[in-house]
Amino acid sequence: MAKPLSNTVDKGAANRGALVSDFTRQLVPILPLLVLIVVFLIWPIVNVAIMAFEDNYGNFTFDNFVVASQGVYAQAFGNSISLGIYSALLASIPGAVFAYIIESRGSEFLKRIINSATSVLANSGGVPLAFMFIAAFGAEGSATVLLKAIGLDIYAGGFTLFSYWGLVLVYCFFQIPIMVLVFSPAVQALRREWTEAARSLGASKWQYWRHVGFPLLFPSFSASFLLLFASAFSAYATARAMTVGTIALVPLMIGTLIDGNVIVDQFNLGKALAIGMVLVTALAMVPYLLIQRRVARWQK
Amino acid sequence: MKKKSTALRLRGVTKSFAGLTALDSLDLDVKPGELVALLGPSGCGKTTALRIVAGLEKADSGKVLVRGEDITELPAHKRHMGMVFQQYSLFPNLTAEENAAFGLRMQGVGGAERKARALELLDLVGLSALAKRYPHEMSGGQQQRVALARALAVEPEVLLLDEPLSALDAKVRTSLREEIRRLQLELGTTTIFVTHDQEEAMAISDRVAVMSRGKIEQIDTPDVLYSNPASSFVASFVGNMNRIPAQFDGKHAHLLGGKAKVSNTDSAAPTSVVALVRPENIRLFKPAHNAKAVADATVLNRSFLGPVSQVTARTADGHVVSALLPTADTGDLHAGDAVAVELLAKQIMIEGSNA
Amino acid sequence: MKRLGFKLPSAGLFIAVLLAGVFVLLPLGSASEYSFRTPALGPGTYGWDNYAWFVSQPDFGTFITLSLLLAAVAAGITLLVLVPTVVWLNLRGQKLRPLMEFLTLLPLVIPVVALAIGAQTSLPVELQSNQYSLSFFYFVLALPYTYRTLDIGIRAIPLKTLSEAARSLGASQIKVIALVLAPVVRGAVIASVFLTIALSLGEFTLTSLLHWQTFTTWVTVISQSNILGAIALSVFTIVAAFALLLVVGLVSIRTKRRQVTEE
Ligand SMILES: Nc1ncnc2c1ncn2[C@@H]1O[C@H](COP(=O)(O)OP(=O)(O)OP(=O)(O)O)[C@@H](O)[C@H]1O
Ligand SMILES: [Mg+2]
Repeated sequence: MAKPLSNTVDKGAANRGALVSDFTRQLVPILPLLVLIVVFLIWPIVNVAIMAFEDNYGNFTFDNFVVASQGVYAQAFGNSISLGIYSALLASIPGAVFAYIIESRGSEFLKRIINSATSVLANSGGVPLAFMFIAAFGAEGSATVLLKAIGLDIYAGGFTLFSYWGLVLVYCFFQIPIMVLVFSPAVQALRREWTEAARSLGASKWQYWRHVGFPLLFPSFSASFLLLFASAFSAYATARAMTVGTIALVPLMIGTLIDGNVIVDQFNLGKALAIGMVLVTALAMVPYLLIQRRVARWQK
Repeated sequence: MKKKSTALRLRGVTKSFAGLTALDSLDLDVKPGELVALLGPSGCGKTTALRIVAGLEKADSGKVLVRGEDITELPAHKRHMGMVFQQYSLFPNLTAEENAAFGLRMQGVGGAERKARALELLDLVGLSALAKRYPHEMSGGQQQRVALARALAVEPEVLLLDEPLSALDAKVRTSLREEIRRLQLELGTTTIFVTHDQEEAMAISDRVAVMSRGKIEQIDTPDVLYSNPASSFVASFVGNMNRIPAQFDGKHAHLLGGKAKVSNTDSAAPTSVVALVRPENIRLFKPAHNAKAVADATVLNRSFLGPVSQVTARTADGHVVSALLPTADTGDLHAGDAVAVELLAKQIMIEGSNA
Repeated sequence: MKRLGFKLPSAGLFIAVLLAGVFVLLPLGSASEYSFRTPALGPGTYGWDNYAWFVSQPDFGTFITLSLLLAAVAAGITLLVLVPTVVWLNLRGQKLRPLMEFLTLLPLVIPVVALAIGAQTSLPVELQSNQYSLSFFYFVLALPYTYRTLDIGIRAIPLKTLSEAARSLGASQIKVIALVLAPVVRGAVIASVFLTIALSLGEFTLTSLLHWQTFTTWVTVISQSNILGAIALSVFTIVAAFALLLVVGLVSIRTKRRQVTEE
C-alpha cells in the first residue's frame, strides 16, 4: 500500500519539478528584460506606494491620502480627470477617421510619411509645443492674425490659450497623432473581403459598418481611448509650460512637491498623490477590461 | 439564335487597370442551374470578371444581364449575388450561424426565420454542430463551408466562387469540390466557379470557359475541351500535353518516327514546329515486333497511378516524352530499358517552335 | 463612360490629407513665420537671426549630442534586450506572454511623475548619478509601444518553421536568431527603434524631475531668455525630429526594396 502511494507522490513531484524547470527555462532568456522592468519601473513605484502610507517619521498612516483627497488636491484630480476625458473625446474620433482613410486609401509612401510624422508629433510637447502655439494662436500669434483677416476672431469669445480649454486644444496636437499611431494597426487588420462579402450579401455601406466594421474596431477604439485618457491625465511637460500654475492639475502639483518648491507638512503627500493617479488610471481600465472580456471569444 | 432563358449574360465587358487590359470585350452566357468554370492562367482576368458580375468592380464598357435584365449600373448590394472568396471572408465577430444568417438579416428577415434558414444551410454543408463557433475556432475547410452556406442562404441569382478551395489541402479540396457540386445540383443554383486548377474545373463543371489574356478562348463541356480543343492554348492548358519538336510539311507533322495530320493549320506554318501530344496518345513498348514507324527511347521512370501508369522516356534525340499506359502493359518497363515509342494520334495540334 | 488611365486620389483621402496639413502646418507655419522675424532690423523684416542665436549658444551642440547619444543607447537596449526577448516569447515562451503583456502595459498606468518620485527616492545613488540611467528609463517608458509593435510584426511570421528549418540545417540557437530571424523581423524592429528614438528625444518630465539636463530641458531653460529664439528653437526641434525619422524611414524602404530585388 505504501509503496504505490509513494510512487504516485514521486511522480507528481517529478511532474511538478518538470513543470517548474520548464517555466524557469522559459524564464531565463527574458530575465534581462524583467530585471530592467523591475529596476526602472516596479521597484520605484512599489517604494512610492509604501512611503505613501508613512508619516514624516516612517510610521504607518492614512493622513497623506486624507489630505490628497481634499480641497485643492481634490479639485486638481477633478481637473485632471476631466481634462483626460475631454481630450480623449476630442482626439479619438478625428484620429480614428484619419487612420481609416490613410490606411484604406493611402499609398505606401504616404503611409510612411504619416507614420514618421505621427511618431514625432505624438512625442511633441513641453516648451517647444507651448511656444509654437503661442506664436501661432497667442493674442498676437500669426495664425490668430491670419484667421482674423479672413473673419475668424478666435479671441472674440474670451478664449485664451492659457486656460483649461486652451490646454485641451494644445493637447490635441499630440493626442490626435497618438490616436492615429495606435489605431492604425486595427484598421489595417480589417480585410477587404469583409466589406465585399457584406456588400454582395446585400448590406449597404452603413449596414456593413453597423454589423461588421464598428464591432470589429470597437475593442481597439476603446483601448486607444483609454490610452488617450491616460496620456492627457498624466501629461506634465506641456501643462507646466502652458499654465504656469494657473490651473490645478495633479501632475503639476506632484512636480512642485518633488522640486521642493512648495513646503507641505507631510513629506510624503506627493507620493500619495502619485498613487492616487495610478489608481485613477487603473480604474479607467475597468470598462476597457469589460469590453475585452466580451469580445475575447471572437478575438484571437 | 436567341436563347429563351439565360441566367447570366455578359456582353463586350471590357476593363483595364492603369492601361493594362484585364478583360477584353468578354462575352459569356450561363444557363439557369448551370455550373460554369472560369479556367485560365494567373492574371488572365478571372477574378476581374467575377467581381464585375458581383458589382464589386465597374466595367469600363459592356453589359451584365441577369435573366435578361440589365444590371450593369446596379450597385453590389442590390444585385443579389452570393460570393465566396479564397479565404478569410467570414466576419470574425459573428458565429457560424450569424454569418450564415447575415444576408437574410440585411433583407430584414425576422430573427426566428433567419435562424431556422441559417441552421438549415449549415446542416446542408454538414456543420450544424458548429453553429455557435466563431470563425477562428474552425478549420479552413469548415470556414469555407460556412462561407458557402452564407452565400447560398440568400438564394442568390448567381453563386460566384473565386478559387474557394485554393487555400485548402489536397484532400479537403477534392471532397469539398464534390460537395459544392452536389449542393449546386440539389439547389439548382446557377454558379460561376473560378479556378486555375484544370482538374478541378473539369471535375465539377457543366461547361468550362478557358480564358487567356482577358478573353474566353473556348467554352464547352469538359470532354469536348479535352478531345477537341479549339486552339493550341486550350489544348495545352486542359489536361497534360507532351510538347515534342516536329517537322511540318504543310499538312502533316512528322515526329517520333511517325506522322499525324495537323488540325490547326490556320497560322502561317514554319517547318520546325512543336507538336502537342496527349500522354495517352503515345505508346511505349519493348521493341520486339518492329513493324510500325517508331522511335527509340530509354525509360526514365514509371509511376503507378492505379489502372494506368505513367511512364517517361528519353528519345534518341534527347526529348522527354510521357505516356499513359494500362498498368498491365508496363510490367516489363524498367528505368534504363530500351523501348520503342509510337505515336498513336491520327490528328494533333502544333505550335510555332519558339512559341 | 471613359475613364482616366490613372487613379485619382479619392476625395476623402484628399480632404483628410488637406486637413492634416492644416492641423500641422497652421501652428508650425505660424510659428515659423514668427521665428524668422528680425525686430532689430525693423518691423516686417525676416532673417535667420533667431536660428543663428540658438545655434551660437555654447551648449547647443553639447546637448544635441547628449540627447542623440541617450536616444541611441535606448535604441540599443531595444535591439539587444527587447528584440531577442520578443522573438523568444514567440518561439518558445508562450506561457510567459500574458505576463509580459501585462508588464509592458504598466508604463501607461503609472504616470511618469509618479515614476519620477519613485526613482528619486528608491534607486541607489550610483545609478541615479549616471546619466545613462535615463536611457533605461526611456526604454521602459517606450515599452508599451515597442513591445506591441514587435509582437504584432513577429507574430505574423512563421518563426517556428523558419527556426526549425535553420536548426535542421545545423545552425545553433544564436545563429538562428542572428542570421535567420533578424532579417525577417526587420520591419517591426525598425518601427520599434523609431518609437524609442522619438520618445527619447522628446522626453521631458522624468528628465527634468530627476534634474538632468538634456536637449529638451536645455530648451526650456534657454527659452526664458529670448522669446523669438525660443520659437525658432521649437520649430527646429519639431522639424529636425521629423526629418530624422523620415530619413530613417526612407532608408529602410530603400534597403527593403533592395533586399526584395536581390532575392
Ligand atoms: N485593382 C487592380 N489594380 C490594378 N491591376 C489589377 C487590379 N486587379 C487586377 N488587376 C490586373 O488585372 C489582371 C487580371 O487580374 P485578375 O485578378 O482578374 O486575374 P486572375 O485571373 O484572377 O488571376 P489569379 O489566378 O492570379 O487570381 C492582372 O494582370 C492584374 O494584375
Ligand atoms: Mg484571381
